[in-house]
Amino acid sequence: MIRTTIIATLLVAAAPAALAEDPEDFIKYRQAVMKAIGGHTGAASQIVRGKVNPEGALGMHANALAELSKDLTGLFPKGSDFGETKAKEEIWSDWAKFEKAADDARTATAAFAEAVTGGDADKIGTAFKGVGDSCKGCHKEFRQKDD
Amino acid sequence: MWRTLAGILLLAATAGHASEGEYLFGAAGCLACHTAEDGPPLAGGHALETPFGVFYAPNITPDRETGIGGWTRAQFIAALKHGTAPDGSAYFPAFPYTSYRHMSDADAGLIFDYLQTVQPQRRANQEHELPWWLARWMIRLWQWWVLDDPEPAPPAVREDPVLNRGRYLVEALGHCGECHTPRNWLGVSIRSRHLAGTRDGPEGDKVPNVTPDRDDGIGKWDAEDLGWFLESGELPDGDYTGGLMTEVVDNATSRLTVADRGAMVAYLRSLEPLPGP
Repeated sequence: MIRTTIIATLLVAAAPAALAEDPEDFIKYRQAVMKAIGGHTGAASQIVRGKVNPEGALGMHANALAELSKDLTGLFPKGSDFGETKAKEEIWSDWAKFEKAADDARTATAAFAEAVTGGDADKIGTAFKGVGDSCKGCHKEFRQKDD
Repeated sequence: MWRTLAGILLLAATAGHASEGEYLFGAAGCLACHTAEDGPPLAGGHALETPFGVFYAPNITPDRETGIGGWTRAQFIAALKHGTAPDGSAYFPAFPYTSYRHMSDADAGLIFDYLQTVQPQRRANQEHELPWWLARWMIRLWQWWVLDDPEPAPPAVREDPVLNRGRYLVEALGHCGECHTPRNWLGVSIRSRHLAGTRDGPEGDKVPNVTPDRDDGIGKWDAEDLGWFLESGELPDGDYTGGLMTEVVDNATSRLTVADRGAMVAYLRSLEPLPGP
C-alpha cells in the first residue's frame, strides 16, 4: 500500500515535468544540435582542405561530430513534426529509411574520427567526404528547402 | 597484322570517344532526371514536379523499342538541341533543350555515342501529368517564340578561354538557369533575372540566387568555397545542400575536372550581381 502510494505520488509529480517539455522547445534543441554538427563540419572542412591548421583541433572536431551523430534519430521524436521545423514528414512516414540515413551518418562520422586518429591525410580526406555524403543523403530526402 | 592494328586503333578511338561522351553526359546532368528512384539507370521515370504539371523523363537507354536504340545521331541532336522528337512532335521544355541548344553538335553527338554504349533497359515511358489546358501542340508555338537566336557572349567572356569554358558548362551543359532563373507565366526564363534565383522552383522549392550579389547571392563566397561546394555539396557554414541540388552535385559537378569546376566558378563570379529573389 505504502509502495503504491509512493509510486503514484512519484508519477503524479513526474507528469507535469513530462508535459512541460514543449515540442517547440525540442525543435529548437534539435536545430541547435544540427547547427553544432554543421559548425564542426565547417570547421573540420577548413582544416581538411588545408586552408588552416590549428594545433590538435581536427581531432576535437572529428570526435565531436562522432559524439553528436550517435543518436540522430533521438532528435526526431514523434510529435516534433510541426511548428517551425524544416524536418519533412517523410522522416516519420518512412522511418526505416530515415533510420538508415541516420545510421550512415553515425558510421561515417565514426570512420572520420578514426581516420583522424590514424593521421593519414588521404584517408582523412576520403572519410570527410563520406561525412559530407551522409549529410547530403539525408538532407536530400528529409529536409525542406528554405522558404 | 594490319587488321589487328586497325582494330586496336579503332577500339582506342571508340574508347576515347565514349569516355569523352561520358564526361559530357555527366556535365550535362542527364542521369538524375532520367532515372527513377531505385529504378534502372537512364530507363526514365523520374517525376519532375513543376507549375506546368508533373513530367516523367523518358528512357534514354539504347533499347530499340522503349529507349533510343533505333535513333540516329541526327535525330538525337534534333531532340537535344531543338526539342524535336523523331516523329516531329515537340518536347515539353521540362527537357532543358532551351539550354542544351547552346551545346555544340559535336558534343551532342558524343553524348549520343556514349548513350548507345549503356545497358539497354526495356521500360515503357510514363505519360506526363498535365494540367487540363496544356497540350503538346502548343509547345510548337512556344518553341517558335522562345527559341530565338542565342544571345552572344559578352566580349569579356568570349575572349577569355576560362570564362568561355565556364559559360559553356553553366549555360549549355549544366543548364543551371533552368532552375536558378525565374520564369514568367508562360514558363519562359526571364532574361533580366538570369541566375538570380526564384521562389517557385521545381518541387515548390526556393532556388538560391547564384549571381555574385553580396547580400543575396554568392558574392561573399571565395572561389575555393564555390569550387568545393560544386565538388562536395558543402556550404561555407558547414551545412550541406539538400533537395535536387544534391543530385546535381553527385551526378554532375562532382564528376567534373578541377579545372572545369574552376571555370564554372570564374564565370559565375563574372556575372552581374542581381538582388533577390
